[in-house]
Amino acid sequence: MNQTAYDYDIVKSFVNWSIVWGLVTVLVGVIVSLQMVEPALNFPPYLTFGRLRPIHTNAGIYGWGVGVIFATFLYIVQRLCKTPLWSPKLARFQLWFFNATIIASAITLLLGYTSSKEYHEMEWPIDVMVVILWVAFGLNIIMTIIKRKEEHMYISLWYMMAAIVGVAILYLVNAAAIPVSLFKSYSAYAGTNDANVEWWFGHNAVAMVLTAPPLAMFYYFLPKSTGVPIYSHRMSIIAFWSLIFMYLWTGAHHLLWTPVPDWIQTLAMAFSLMLIAPSWGSVFNGYLSMNGQWHQMRENYLVKFLIIGITFYGLQTLQGPMQAIRTFSAFIHYTDWIPAHIHMGTMGWVSMISFASIYYLVPRIYGKNLYSIPLANLQFWLILTGQLMWSISLWIAGVLQAGMWNAMNPDGSLTYTFMETMVEMYPYWWIRVGGGLIYFAGVVVFIYNLVMTVRQGEPAVTTESAPVAGRA
Amino acid sequence: MDLASMLYLGVTFGLFVVFVLIFMHTYSKKRKEEGEIAKYRMLDDD
Repeated sequence: MNQTAYDYDIVKSFVNWSIVWGLVTVLVGVIVSLQMVEPALNFPPYLTFGRLRPIHTNAGIYGWGVGVIFATFLYIVQRLCKTPLWSPKLARFQLWFFNATIIASAITLLLGYTSSKEYHEMEWPIDVMVVILWVAFGLNIIMTIIKRKEEHMYISLWYMMAAIVGVAILYLVNAAAIPVSLFKSYSAYAGTNDANVEWWFGHNAVAMVLTAPPLAMFYYFLPKSTGVPIYSHRMSIIAFWSLIFMYLWTGAHHLLWTPVPDWIQTLAMAFSLMLIAPSWGSVFNGYLSMNGQWHQMRENYLVKFLIIGITFYGLQTLQGPMQAIRTFSAFIHYTDWIPAHIHMGTMGWVSMISFASIYYLVPRIYGKNLYSIPLANLQFWLILTGQLMWSISLWIAGVLQAGMWNAMNPDGSLTYTFMETMVEMYPYWWIRVGGGLIYFAGVVVFIYNLVMTVRQGEPAVTTESAPVAGRA
Repeated sequence: MDLASMLYLGVTFGLFVVFVLIFMHTYSKKRKEEGEIAKYRMLDDD
């Protein structure tokens, strides 16, 4: 049997750096959650909530999220196409440019340079860096797919290509701005058009960074971990195309009850509800793939992460459309319910799949057994507990907050002042700090386990499909 | 209905037709086996 010489060095580097940025985002997340309950922990001008919060979100999405995307895509594309990377040198350039971009983003955000667009705060010179980075990445992946030796294109490749094309379009359109100095620019759009473009970008960044890539990983690593194929490839293809056709219309659900035209809001609401179908198409495909394999939930730590991850995806994609309904949105929008929703997606869905992907990759690319399966299981429970504490406490807080904001006296005046509603939030915000600390402990255990695997793990004779010390 | 509205409607309808064609192509009885090969191939080691 011919062995293809795959390039795993670049995968190792991206795994390492994505973990570094993952640690940064969780650490800064814990700090900003503490700043919410202890305002004295804000140290102006640099270390305030206002400047650290975008570092938390951008390190999470672009450092951890995109870092894992780079690592896994560069691995998966080689394996599925049965061919080495088109250009290892370009991938090496991409690695260093990626880190330069993340560092430049962190420094400029700390210094207070911001476009003020959520999830797109970085000023125009960094936009240019992001475009160069994405072109280098996209070119390498697409050229590798073009010169593939495997005729059949597995579903993960479709999601990967969608993410590459989707992010490119979204980022370029939303980044359109007029620079007035090295670190200041003004959006090319004005008023409601600007808001509409921003949330078209914002919500579809969720689609093309936090949905399509984790689905590509899920569809690849689940069957590789269980050793059995997915339930239906054709169903995955239909779910893919449904997602592609529907997702791009949903961004304006972030702008319900705003001056954006009513018909755009209604369109976004309708498409958000329709989006349940493709999302749950993938969830059901995942569950049905486990037919006869549910015992692996007990025995295989990778499966545990992957199935709980796709379950969080299912919950997320049910809760999201509900929130996009006008009446429900009127109640919970601007409350703590919203960050609880977002963190179920990031800490639950995206990170669970990312942890599983890295646990799968590290033993294989280093040729060593995982150092400790009990530690991987411990991390799973820490992550799950931390996430649930985080989200459940803030869902309750959000409902309480909305109830207090809407409460009125018989004469039509508000029952509670804004400060009174703030004071009620404190117990829940402390629970959030606790959840964040437990989650952080889980990340530390994860890193320790991986470091020890590389340093002291027993050499493993492995094939691609066979689990490497994947049994508890 | 002005020209722009008709154009939007046409594009929307066109996209819907494209989606229906993708669905029919993916689930055609002739392509049943062909459509599922990739999920087995990805498990093969080289």
